[in-house]
Amino acid sequence: MTENTQPHKDVGASLEPGQPVPPNELQSVEPDNNPTIITNVPLNISADTFASGMNSALQRTVSPATIEHDLKMIVRVMPTWKAPRKPKIETSGFVLPDAFDFIPKEPAKEDKPEKLKSIKPPGIVSGQEEDPTDGAHQVNGEKKKKTRTRLKPPADALSLKDRLFYLLQPPLEGWLGGQEMIMPFEPFPYQYEGIAWLFASQSALLADEMGLGKTMQTITAIRLLLRSGHCRRILLVCPKPLLPNWQRELKTWAEEIPFVVVEGKTSKRMMTWQIPGIPVLLANYELVVRDFAAMEEDERPVFDLMVLDEAQRIKNRDSTTAKTIRSVTRKRSWALTGTPIENRTEELAALFEFMEVVPPRTVPEPRQLSRLADEFILRRTKDLVMTDLPPRFDRDAHIELTEQQDYAYKQAEKQGVMALNEMGDEISIQHVFELVLRLKQICNYDPFTNSSCKLDSLRADMEEISASGGKAILFSQWTKSLDWIAERTQDFNPLIYHGGVPTKKREPILDRFENDPDCPLILMSYGTGAVGLNLQFAGYVFLFDRWWNPAVEDQAINRAHRIGQKTQVIVTKFICQNTIEERIDRVLTEKRELFKSILGDGQVEGGVNLSMSAGDIFGLFDLKAKQKGAKPKPIDPEEKLPAA
Amino acid sequence: MTKNAGDDLRIGFLTTLDVDQKGIVGGLLITNRFGRPLEFQCTAPIKASRTQEILYGQTLRPYLKCDLIGKTLFDKVSVKPHMLLTEDPELLDLRDQLRVPVACCDEVKPNAASPPDKVRIGDQLLTFHSSHDADVGTVKNQAEALPQDADLAEPLERVREALSETVRSTP
Repeated sequence: MTENTQPHKDVGASLEPGQPVPPNELQSVEPDNNPTIITNVPLNISADTFASGMNSALQRTVSPATIEHDLKMIVRVMPTWKAPRKPKIETSGFVLPDAFDFIPKEPAKEDKPEKLKSIKPPGIVSGQEEDPTDGAHQVNGEKKKKTRTRLKPPADALSLKDRLFYLLQPPLEGWLGGQEMIMPFEPFPYQYEGIAWLFASQSALLADEMGLGKTMQTITAIRLLLRSGHCRRILLVCPKPLLPNWQRELKTWAEEIPFVVVEGKTSKRMMTWQIPGIPVLLANYELVVRDFAAMEEDERPVFDLMVLDEAQRIKNRDSTTAKTIRSVTRKRSWALTGTPIENRTEELAALFEFMEVVPPRTVPEPRQLSRLADEFILRRTKDLVMTDLPPRFDRDAHIELTEQQDYAYKQAEKQGVMALNEMGDEISIQHVFELVLRLKQICNYDPFTNSSCKLDSLRADMEEISASGGKAILFSQWTKSLDWIAERTQDFNPLIYHGGVPTKKREPILDRFENDPDCPLILMSYGTGAVGLNLQFAGYVFLFDRWWNPAVEDQAINRAHRIGQKTQVIVTKFICQNTIEERIDRVLTEKRELFKSILGDGQVEGGVNLSMSAGDIFGLFDLKAKQKGAKPKPIDPEEKLPAA
Repeated sequence: MTKNAGDDLRIGFLTTLDVDQKGIVGGLLITNRFGRPLEFQCTAPIKASRTQEILYGQTLRPYLKCDLIGKTLFDKVSVKPHMLLTEDPELLDLRDQLRVPVACCDEVKPNAASPPDKVRIGDQLLTFHSSHDADVGTVKNQAEALPQDADLAEPLERVREALSETVRSTP
């Protein structure tokens, strides 16, 4: 079919050439341009088809192929999680050792159960109000918690279990203060520190200045070790005169701890050493030496802890005492002394050897000693910790010899010096020493006339002391002088306490001195009275003559100037003018300064001798210590001792 | 001296510690009534996986502390306590798994009043699990054996110190 765009001849003459013809008026146009109108269009259109095979393919049965997949792959794509019933948790721990089974103390009355004693700090100044709240006090209106002293694991505790043992212990204040352990008095903070330090120490040298409570700290640490089950058998060794003191202190500070004193005949002592179940054995040095020498090695008792009081007793490491003490089998070694360096720094090495912190027979260098001291020595002085302790006043009483004494003194000195000169090369320290002693004795009193400037001064002082109800302790190095003084001070009912007094009679003497108001004076020898006694009720100390070592003098003074002292302590040192005593005093003063420098912050350079040496003794007469092959300097009998 | 029933009172002090990168550790200290330690047990650090964190959500920490740490430690100690004290309220749910009271310590002011559902010992106020009302009475009776000024929070400090020491010591 063709579409004719020419105008149809029947449609009208109005159609312009090129104008489309309406569809319903389709026309055919003849070649001669005469349009012919087409009225019928045939709709029967025929279509031819060809065979391609597609239709029959659609009628065939489908047969699909399968592909296998790994199931794990599917799990990764779709994760699942199921909570385990109870995962296994790793644990670690330990049961702490059982506490010692103490003998229970019977209460005073059955109907009134024993109540724990409430404890109060001993340092409360009168007038200061006590804090009503237990365990806390008010500071600037705010509640401040009471300090806690925790045990620290020792540096040498390598195993975790050992360290945890210390960390898990309760604070000392809670442990001691009115909970499980009854304390007669609350310790001072520095004492808590000392107790904690001892408790955690395998090797320890407690070197607190005298009077700061070494005994109490030691007993309390022992008590805690027994209570915690860490120790079960302890040996406490002290000088024989101090046994009653230790017994008394043990009863005071650890009333529930059974202890036995090793004493009596050999058979009884041997049995005592072997008694099982006694936590604390108390023995003196001499008996330890004697009994251990008599025992077979396999029979010797072994101890968890060995404590040496006045440990300077083993300062000579070659002595039998030191060797025997070191041979005792023990796990812990504690030494107590207020004078760890009584004479030479080498003595520290002897103590360290006992404490098993230096190899046997070694002498550490001063620097090594200093490092060891930092780790194994705890020393506090009263100046640092006892701010509440009443002060001590030292009064040097420089007095003139009486005429008779002066005459006797000059005669003795003249004769003595002449005799020394005559000796020539034979002169020895012993000879000079004898002269010193003779002169010192004359300074105490003239043996021919019994005249004594010191006695006159003493009597004058004692009149006042006695009238005021005070108590005085007098020290001398000679028992003979003490007896002589006692005869001449009968109006003061003097008590005598020296090595000649039987041990059993000593305690009653001390009791009487404390409790009898008619006995204001006790006369003591340095050797017996200077160590271990608690005489803090005495406010006056007289050093009738001077000891050779300032440390021993301090020990003597500290019998009175110690914890519990409520008043000031006045120390009177008698020094006769223009005599050898002035010279000795000067040497002792120098020694005292040296002692402070060693145990304080001062540097230790080499060995130091704190006792009066041979050089010092010779120096009293301006002599030099005898050198091998050298001639001694002639002594001028007229040469006066320089003033102090 | 006559021995009272309260003399043998044993208290368990349970606490947990979050350790960086390692997870949670738990420690249980059993003491006598005066705070003297009798036994100590602690767990190795427990760390949840990321999946566990997502799936357990907020219940993860209580689950770790109570079900895993607390229960394990309680089962482990040979010296069984008569009561268990903690300072972590999340550990109170441990009570459902134990037969002994579990209480949470909280320091209280000296003059503060003590609610009837709590027990005051020293300066600590003990809170109990809400579904175990009888624990209040039980602990009140047990508390008679304790010193009046007992500091129940202090042993928990010891446990924390011991846990810290243990974590420091282990690689």
